[in-house]
Amino acid sequence: MQTTRPTLGKYICGMAASLIIFLAGGWLILAPFALGYQSYGADWVSQTTNSFVLGICVAVVALISFALFFSSLLGSLRVAGVLIAPTRPVAQAPAPDQVQATIPQAPVQNQSDLDKTLATLAAALAADLNARRQTSNDQQSDQAQSMVNRSETK
Amino acid sequence: MSTRDAMRRLISPGSYVLFLFFLAGIWLTISPFAMTTQPSGSHWIASTVNSVTIGALMMVVSLLGILGYMLFALRDLIRETQAKQAAEQQASQLAE
Repeated sequence: MQTTRPTLGKYICGMAASLIIFLAGGWLILAPFALGYQSYGADWVSQTTNSFVLGICVAVVALISFALFFSSLLGSLRVAGVLIAPTRPVAQAPAPDQVQATIPQAPVQNQSDLDKTLATLAAALAADLNARRQTSNDQQSDQAQSMVNRSETK
Repeated sequence: MSTRDAMRRLISPGSYVLFLFFLAGIWLTISPFAMTTQPSGSHWIASTVNSVTIGALMMVVSLLGILGYMLFALRDLIRETQAKQAAEQQASQLAE
């Protein structure tokens, strides 16, 4: 049962910001030449060095930031069940009992917090119902025992 | 959910990188004056205008990115909590 709905807004927000900053970094690299305050062939002035170095750093780190947000998005989609987690190739064929033991683990990993909460609540509910049935059975058996005792005394 | 878990969900690793961009934007904005490439008292030269503009853009975009992520994550957190509470109420009603 998949109850979590993937919300992509936060990841798209971060990716858009990273992309805009990446473009700003690219512009910082080109700006000294595009705006003409760095003449071709001459030694670089301090503004050019500052702008160029900062532009390269900003562009590289913006790509890293984009990758971080993108990987978070993929993780969220995997948790929601939209994407299937990549499975590693198994070197040896497992024994049949091992296969049976490993099959239920995959859905458990994909369970959302809500699913876990619901499972816990259902278990608690079942335990409560069992306890109530036991107490009612005990009361009935006590009543039957007392009736038997009364009939014996009479 | 503890406060630490909530903060972990509200601030992603990418948000830390965006904060670095915010700091880089501050440096870009003040660099013409810190490096004295902008003569004092005169009109801003082209490199100063470019640096200040791009620095301000980076500051605004990185702040919007951080705040946008936090707002969306907070909304998701609230929705999840409401869904959990509704499930718990349903379970308690069933138990009664």
